[in-house]
Amino acid sequence: MVLEPKNRISERALRVWRISGAVISAVFFLLAGGVIGLTIFFDWPIWISVTAIILFILSIYFFVILFPSLRWKRWRYEVREQEIELQHGLFVIKRTLVPMVRVQHVDTAQGPILRKYKLASVTVSTAATTHEIPALELSEAEEMRISISRLARVADEDV
Amino acid sequence: MSEPKRLHPITSVINFLKSLKEFIAPFIIIFLFGGKGPGLDLWQMIFTASFIVLSLVGGILSWLRFTYRVEEGELRIESGLFVRKKRYIPFERIQSLDFSEGLLQRPFGLVTVKVETAGSSGLNNAEAVLTAIKKQDAVAIQDILTSVKRNQTQYREIEESDIVYTMKPSQLMLLASTSGGAGVVISASLAFILQFDELIPFEKVFKELQGYISNGIAFVSIALFLLFLLAWFIAVVGTMFKYAGFTVKRVEEDLVISRGLLEKRQLTIPLNRIQGILISENIIRQPIGYCSVYLESAGGSLEKNSSKTLLLPIIKKKEVAALLSPFLHDYCFSPELVPAPKRALKRYMFRGLLIPLIIAAAAIIFFRPWGFLSLVLIPFAAIWAFLNYKDAGWSLHQQQLTLTYRGIVKNTFYMRKNKIQSLTLARSPFQERQALGTIHATVKSGVGPSGGEVVDIEKQDCLTIYNWYTYQ
Repeated sequence: MVLEPKNRISERALRVWRISGAVISAVFFLLAGGVIGLTIFFDWPIWISVTAIILFILSIYFFVILFPSLRWKRWRYEVREQEIELQHGLFVIKRTLVPMVRVQHVDTAQGPILRKYKLASVTVSTAATTHEIPALELSEAEEMRISISRLARVADEDV
Repeated sequence: MSEPKRLHPITSVINFLKSLKEFIAPFIIIFLFGGKGPGLDLWQMIFTASFIVLSLVGGILSWLRFTYRVEEGELRIESGLFVRKKRYIPFERIQSLDFSEGLLQRPFGLVTVKVETAGSSGLNNAEAVLTAIKKQDAVAIQDILTSVKRNQTQYREIEESDIVYTMKPSQLMLLASTSGGAGVVISASLAFILQFDELIPFEKVFKELQGYISNGIAFVSIALFLLFLLAWFIAVVGTMFKYAGFTVKRVEEDLVISRGLLEKRQLTIPLNRIQGILISENIIRQPIGYCSVYLESAGGSLEKNSSKTLLLPIIKKKEVAALLSPFLHDYCFSPELVPAPKRALKRYMFRGLLIPLIIAAAAIIFFRPWGFLSLVLIPFAAIWAFLNYKDAGWSLHQQQLTLTYRGIVKNTFYMRKNKIQSLTLARSPFQERQALGTIHATVKSGVGPSGGEVVDIEKQDCLTIYNWYTYQ
């Protein structure tokens, strides 16, 4: 294998993803609660409630524990002078190359959770595709936005 | 022609019809759910009548307001009923003028002119449209554009227009009969019939059908055959109308495509905006050596609902290179392809058979006697999966990446390195175990992406392509 891209994203991303995972699990919790309520009310068989509870527990395991750490472990990026390289994925690992000459613009964005942890995501757009690097340190994201847009300007070329 | 000109009066009729068309859906809703009685009540009548009158007046007024003129190297258009709009388009900015002739334009010798600029590459979204003007006026505008462009850049002297391709009647027949449009007609008519399921006494029909079925399987099969024949025939006629007179011309640095029998359409694609070339061979055309050629282009005019532009509707695959090479000389059309390795076949078969097997199993379990019919699916799925495997391949030739893969049709995607927007290499743990990988390349097409993907090729090959693309 060619060398992996060398930078990892911020470790605080892990906590952010766990929080968003918890939000998803909370939805499962509400659904499970609803199902159990209905089961008691309508006298449905017990296995329906049991399945609902198991699903809820599984959702905690997957969305709060497993997926965030897998995702974090996979996420790598590297911004070189002539291209950006990304690696990500949960199950299927994807590596993407975006040449600087193709970059049209760069955005940084910050949702409410990201802001709390002083993180930001960087989105790189080409004429056809967009690529997001989630959860970088705010200062690093700002720096990257500036440096990518500078590098992309140098390598100006028609589509 | 510096004094403001109006479009042909027929424009007001076209405007009127257009606004009627836009409101047809709300109308249907009002008529279906609004009235309780079987007939129209007074309010509905008044509403309809006033709407029609308003549309008519609006159509006429907007025609009266719409003027265009050529002034100071600009096409100046003024329009608007309440809000006056002025749009001045410098000729240098115009990428192409496309002429089309609709049903209403043809009797008067008129054309619709679509003005395309670099900014208007959205689908069906020209910078400006002159709905109906005389042909000679359109040609006059075209002449001004050509002269402006000629001054602006030094064009190589090429013959005025170079015909690249014209479709022969025999080819049109072949195109129409192998288009696979019959399926579309059948599903469309099914969908249409299902709209009226409350009106059609299905149960009664089914009971009678059952009677017929017990009368003889032969009758049913003949009836089905006739139905398919009819659908196929409708599709053939439709395709013929659409693609009759298909011509590709090279006009300086543009490709101009024109087609259509009742409604003539024209498209212009600047050569330097071409992002990739796609050759597709459907299951009927592949064995007889025919294919269709599409262009992915970043600008110029595009067809409705499709980011690809059909360049050659039907052509012998062998002839493609000879035909396109004169003006797409950067492309190599017969590179040596590397196929997917043998061990990928297992994965292709698994992917292709998984869902049909599940469906068949479910059908057999739940619909006892008839469910076994679903076993027919399996051999077809197996053949299809095998074809998917066989048609997977890739090639690197200097600055060109070629990917071949099959969805329903076999695709061969030619891309130049400097037009590829991004390249992705993906591998799942299962692929990893067998040292296989998936490669995905994206080019710009219209306003969005378009890409080619080959699954399960040698991991080493994936890396070769990756290293070819990287600057490192």
